[in-house]
Amino acid sequence: MSDEQKNKSQTEKDLSRRDFIKLSGTMLGAAALVPLVSQGARKLSGGEQTDGPQWGMLIDINKCIGCNYCTYACQAVNNLSDDMLYNVVTKETTQTGVEFFLSRPCMHCTDAPCTHVCPVGATYQREDGIIAMDYDLCIGCRYCEVACPYDARVFNWYKHTETSERVPDYGVPEVPPRDRGVVEKCTFCSHRIDAGLERNLIPGVDPQATPACVVACPTGARVFGDLNDPESPISKTLSQTTLTLRLREELSTAPKVYYVPPQPNTETGSENS
Amino acid sequence: MITPEVKSFKIHFGKKEVYIFPYWIGLLICGIAFGLVGAHQVFTRGLQVTGLSNQVPWGLWITIDLSAIALGGSTFVFGVVVYLLRIKRFEIVGKLAILLGFLGYSTAGMVLLFDLGKPLRFWHPIIFWQPHSLLWEITMCVVLYLTVLAAELLPVVLEHPVFSTHPFLDKFQILRKAINLLHRLADWLHSIAPVLAVLGLTLSLLHQASLGATYSVLSGRGMWFNQSAPVQFVLSAMGGGTSLLFFLSVVVFRIMRPGLVKDDILYDVARIAGAIVLLCIYIRVWDWAVTNYYSFDTEVSLQTSVLNSIAPYSATFWIGQVIFALIPGTILLLSRRVNNFRILMAAAVLPVICTVLVRWNYNFSGLIASISYSPFNPAVILNSYVPTWQEWSVASLVISYWLLLFSLAAHYLPFTSQASRH
Repeated sequence: MSDEQKNKSQTEKDLSRRDFIKLSGTMLGAAALVPLVSQGARKLSGGEQTDGPQWGMLIDINKCIGCNYCTYACQAVNNLSDDMLYNVVTKETTQTGVEFFLSRPCMHCTDAPCTHVCPVGATYQREDGIIAMDYDLCIGCRYCEVACPYDARVFNWYKHTETSERVPDYGVPEVPPRDRGVVEKCTFCSHRIDAGLERNLIPGVDPQATPACVVACPTGARVFGDLNDPESPISKTLSQTTLTLRLREELSTAPKVYYVPPQPNTETGSENS
Repeated sequence: MITPEVKSFKIHFGKKEVYIFPYWIGLLICGIAFGLVGAHQVFTRGLQVTGLSNQVPWGLWITIDLSAIALGGSTFVFGVVVYLLRIKRFEIVGKLAILLGFLGYSTAGMVLLFDLGKPLRFWHPIIFWQPHSLLWEITMCVVLYLTVLAAELLPVVLEHPVFSTHPFLDKFQILRKAINLLHRLADWLHSIAPVLAVLGLTLSLLHQASLGATYSVLSGRGMWFNQSAPVQFVLSAMGGGTSLLFFLSVVVFRIMRPGLVKDDILYDVARIAGAIVLLCIYIRVWDWAVTNYYSFDTEVSLQTSVLNSIAPYSATFWIGQVIFALIPGTILLLSRRVNNFRILMAAAVLPVICTVLVRWNYNFSGLIASISYSPFNPAVILNSYVPTWQEWSVASLVISYWLLLFSLAAHYLPFTSQASRH
């Protein structure tokens, strides 16, 4: 009896060892495939500079009057319902208590937390640095919303049915509405940039190829362009500006949206609100 | 047959003796029925029926999801004890652990399905890989681990006599053939049990840790989302899971089905649970000291004071997580001396509550009180979240499912294997 048991446990052991080797082999094989698969995957974060354009935005807080035109134009052009905002304008204060308006699009971070956490690669960084969404891939887990330090992402809680009341005063819808259940975000109006480049227009210079918020701004507080091109409007403005800041720089996300901080001597736009 | 051995709970009303098992099952079916109403609303109208918002995108369901996975943490502990260390006296308790694991993970999978904005795309992570994402890794681990658990559970379920002696099997030959095939599969699965145990251990450690890391990487959120979260999640899952296993082992093997497991073994399970719970709280208190005493973080102290102003936040830490772990941990560790199953069972409930509370606090602390992006005066913004009845309804659905399957399994599952009976 005990011999029989011994034999049995022996065969059990043999079996398990062989199966273990088989299994390890399979897992190794799978591990070897990973680089192949991820080679096909899209780039998640830039970090290194590329030769092509890197789109960026500069917002001069001193010129912002808090009129919200950027928000409205964004809603109209990007086909957003009224409670969904890609761009938000808030009233903030400096350390000395001076009030100013802070308008916040997506920061299009060079090292974007949202692209790292997305489980399906639905949000990714394009070659030109724009953080884009693939609405057909998104499963609506909202991890990117939790990860974004700028609160820049919005979820489609409802089914989009009505056109925004900002249409047609502030623009007409240029992109199709997104499905209920996916997360969406500011795209730097990448549809305008892509279409504009095909027609040899320069984003940041030609309005048709420039984000709607930049075009709509009545005071020219927003400047857009290629950060890699020294002749672009944004590079020129940046080189003329002594002090710029980016939001929550301590997180090392390296946003591509720069701000000119409020100057103590200049009047802020708060009185015009 | 197994069933006559079952001594289920009975309540005495005067001279009348009432067998409460059917009423309990009825209650759970009501819970599922109520849950289906909410589930229908969620699937037809979408997540607008929840109390979630863009600022608090994760709520009650995520907490249930994390807790269900954590409370299945005993499975890999006992997988190692029984199949790798080959301590055979824990085999029957180990089978109960596998059941708890399977229930925990299937519950988690179910509640996640509701939590997705696009439930029909639940399979996307399996096809569209994004290996940088913790959530991707967790999804893959949970899917694979659920498969492993199903493979481990199948031989246990197939040992029920109904699968070899039911008259239908002789009537319909095809059924007999299918069952024989399943039996052969089960035998093979049983023979590779150690492989499954190693695989289960690897997958468990990977994703239990990653669930903590899910919050660790949220650098923009501050509070509690620290680097020790992965270790704490693993240890608290092991502690809470084993405490739950002890509690339910007493229910099943002392109250419902006495005679299957000796009291000595149950004491040992309690001691294992106690040891892990104490180890976990040791690390947890060090972690508290590191974040609150040895270093000063303005954001963390701001968040703590804001959270304390709206909820007994610090109290949930000191009472719910430190005391609820220290006292029961000690009692469970001294189980042989305590020698009283009522006290031990009461003690085992607290680490389970503690495990759930850790997840609750982890999830909400950074979402309810988040830091603004204001460049000069970063402030703590207080968000609010109140679960709607639809969310409670879905919670009732998945918890009732867990309890129903557990009750039926505890009642009918043969925990002794035929091989050992021979």
